[in-house]
Amino acid sequence: MKVSRLMQSKVTWAVIAEALILIVCFIIRPDFFSISYQPSTGMLYGSLIDIVNRSAEITIISMGMTLVIALGGTDLSVGALVAVAGAISLKFLRWDVLTYNTPGDYTVYPYVLVIFVPLIVCALMGLFNGFLVAKGGMQPIIATLILMVCGRGVAQILTDGKQFTTGYSPFRVIGQGSFMYLPMPIIITIIVVVAVALFTRKTAFGAFVESVGVNPSASRLSGIKADTVILIVFMITGLLSGIAGLIYSSRIMSNDSNNAGLNFEMDAILAVVIGGTNMAGGKFSLAGTVVGSLIIRTIVTFVYYFGIVSEATMAFKALIIAVVIVLQSEPVREYFAKRARKKEGVSHA
Amino acid sequence: MSELLSMKGITIEFPGVKALDNVDFSLNAGEIHSLLGENGAGKSTLIKCLTGVNHMDEGKIYLEGKEIRPSSPMEAIETGISTVFQEVNLCPNLSVAENIFVGRQPMKHRQINWREINQRAEELMSRFHLDIDVTRPLSYYSTAIQQMTSIARAVDIQAKVLILDEPTSSLDENEVQLLFSVMRELKANGMGIIFITHFLDQIYAVSDRMTILRNGHLVGTYGINELSKVELVTKMVGKDMDVIFNLKRADVKPDSRITLQANHIGDSSHIKDISLTLKEGELLGFAGLLGSGRTETAEMLFGASRIVQGEIILDGTKLNLTKPFDAIKAKIAFCPEDRKRDGIIGDLSIRENIMLAVQSRKGFMKPMTRQEQTDLANKYIALLGIATPDCEKKAGELSGGNQQKVILARWMAAEPEVLILDEPTRGIDIGAKAEIQRLMLEMCGSGVSVIFISSELDEIIRCSNRIVIMRDREKVAEIDGSSCTQQDILKIIAEGAA
Repeated sequence: MKVSRLMQSKVTWAVIAEALILIVCFIIRPDFFSISYQPSTGMLYGSLIDIVNRSAEITIISMGMTLVIALGGTDLSVGALVAVAGAISLKFLRWDVLTYNTPGDYTVYPYVLVIFVPLIVCALMGLFNGFLVAKGGMQPIIATLILMVCGRGVAQILTDGKQFTTGYSPFRVIGQGSFMYLPMPIIITIIVVVAVALFTRKTAFGAFVESVGVNPSASRLSGIKADTVILIVFMITGLLSGIAGLIYSSRIMSNDSNNAGLNFEMDAILAVVIGGTNMAGGKFSLAGTVVGSLIIRTIVTFVYYFGIVSEATMAFKALIIAVVIVLQSEPVREYFAKRARKKEGVSHA
Repeated sequence: MSELLSMKGITIEFPGVKALDNVDFSLNAGEIHSLLGENGAGKSTLIKCLTGVNHMDEGKIYLEGKEIRPSSPMEAIETGISTVFQEVNLCPNLSVAENIFVGRQPMKHRQINWREINQRAEELMSRFHLDIDVTRPLSYYSTAIQQMTSIARAVDIQAKVLILDEPTSSLDENEVQLLFSVMRELKANGMGIIFITHFLDQIYAVSDRMTILRNGHLVGTYGINELSKVELVTKMVGKDMDVIFNLKRADVKPDSRITLQANHIGDSSHIKDISLTLKEGELLGFAGLLGSGRTETAEMLFGASRIVQGEIILDGTKLNLTKPFDAIKAKIAFCPEDRKRDGIIGDLSIRENIMLAVQSRKGFMKPMTRQEQTDLANKYIALLGIATPDCEKKAGELSGGNQQKVILARWMAAEPEVLILDEPTRGIDIGAKAEIQRLMLEMCGSGVSVIFISSELDEIIRCSNRIVIMRDREKVAEIDGSSCTQQDILKIIAEGAA
């Protein structure tokens, strides 16, 4: 019984898929798994570390996306919010570009503002999404389309369409620093994942999200304030997009309103789906989403690492994801669950 | 009469259980044959086997003497077996005519011939004496018409066997009569009809023979005059009915305190002026036809729809109910009429369904531990006799009666002072029905005030201390429950005030 239940779980399949990709990597390049310590930066280096590090933005965003999808919606604005966060922080770092015309190790406004204003703005933008959905009764995909389109415009306006760069070292720490031998983005990701997991599973919030996602009407009649739940979920997603935006702009020490967070919404949705959360809403799995995000990044790293022409990256990514999703589909899981049951039956007999 | 369909020795096994064990069934041409049994007796499984949804492990099916083995619903339809389900499985946004012809639209010059579609649809519907605009979307019409559309589709594809699975559970009396006349006409044309319902009267009104199943076994096939109602129920339930129907009305003392009081309440749409009082431990029945305002009144008392006039007073304090949460906070509970849409949260476990109201009253920041939830769920699973291996089973996978018990458990766990039950016994079998009535009366015994809404007058009369009768969105009468008959109530419903 246990085996068949495992075989039916989508998370199991995501883990198997990730393992398979890694095994292929290992067969082609046995040094794929090697991790070395670099004393000059105080960080560990290696492909695996790189995969986790580079997946940070998507993993963080997809924590929020998991909740949005569990409610039966999607949030398309996350990529644009990444750009907004970057634009705001760079604006505070270099408010008056004419005076501070060379990027250096300074900030014009207090560092607190550089960090917190983007986060607050992104959280408010998330709240705006939630408001349109909860109070305006709009479909999430439409409601968030508004900020997806105009968010990048806002970012452009904030920075006068310019791309600022900075050399402020405390800002560099967010995306390029290290803590306990690990790149800072990994640390931030771990904190976010644990925080979201605790918030949803150690309170009843997760159960409320699932309940509203499955049956909003029955949830309301059971006393759940569905509107509040929706507002909180979208606000969390906005806030997490802001965090991802800070990491992203710290990596490039610049703002890039056109390309920052481009297609992040798609990758985040994919991570959630690969992780086994149903697009129709209901039960969600944060662990599955983390694995999903890692799979996406592993594929990209795989492509870079083995010198497949970069033009083919997208096609290659699509191919592997298609395989993973087929493996997770109902008929395939049923098939394997049945086989597992049969085998168990034989071994019992 | 010739035998149209025969099923022999049907056995279906699911992991762990024999859903059907060596069941025989036969249907003649031009016959209405009722299929009876409690929930979980195997009716649905038998139907699903006939329509190719479930695959039988043993047994044979013959249609007009030829063996068939339907492997999908599509194939079953092609061989001449059509089904009209309890929940209409049509497309509500397409027109009536489109629904009848969807997938096989008549063509002309390689284009869909809309004129023919609409004309033929009109002819079909007029055969059922329905004069409606077939170009309107299906959702525009009542459930009854939607079911007729489903039947019309079956007639048009010349189905030989028509299966009606609980078609009457959401129809009112006139609509039921309409359905029956259509059924009789189809029968006269030689169609074989399998009729599944929980309403015993309807079985006697329309069918020729009946087959009874119990726990996956065949009890027997009888002519309609061979069994009395009591014998029938006894065969279905397998125990003596006297025990089940031996319910005692709640005992309310004249000086009991008044818990809930509504003074001239009305909502923004239809209900203008309803007043009622409820005493501690009293069961107040709401009688009246569908759409008479019963549900709307209940929703006002629960804060699910906002009152625009009047006041609701609980234990001497005036309540300001703007959302269900407020009512739950004030210890009012409400089991809604539409179990699927408003009650059960199907993808969540029984445990989560039961703890929901308690948890929502606490707010999500004060969670119950997993152990507390499990204990709570197990307590009510045992108390209400919910048939499940454990509390982690998905609530949506339970039978209708057990789902209703889960919702009841959700509210009992919230320890309400006032419990409003809107059609709690609809669409569930007699055994479960009697049990829900018993539970309801036990709640009254422990001091809970209950409002009980039902379309079935006999259960209203059996349980209520007082009965409020509603008609055309008004309260027309309030009578004593212990001294009235069905005729009294029907007379008031038909003629207005007593």
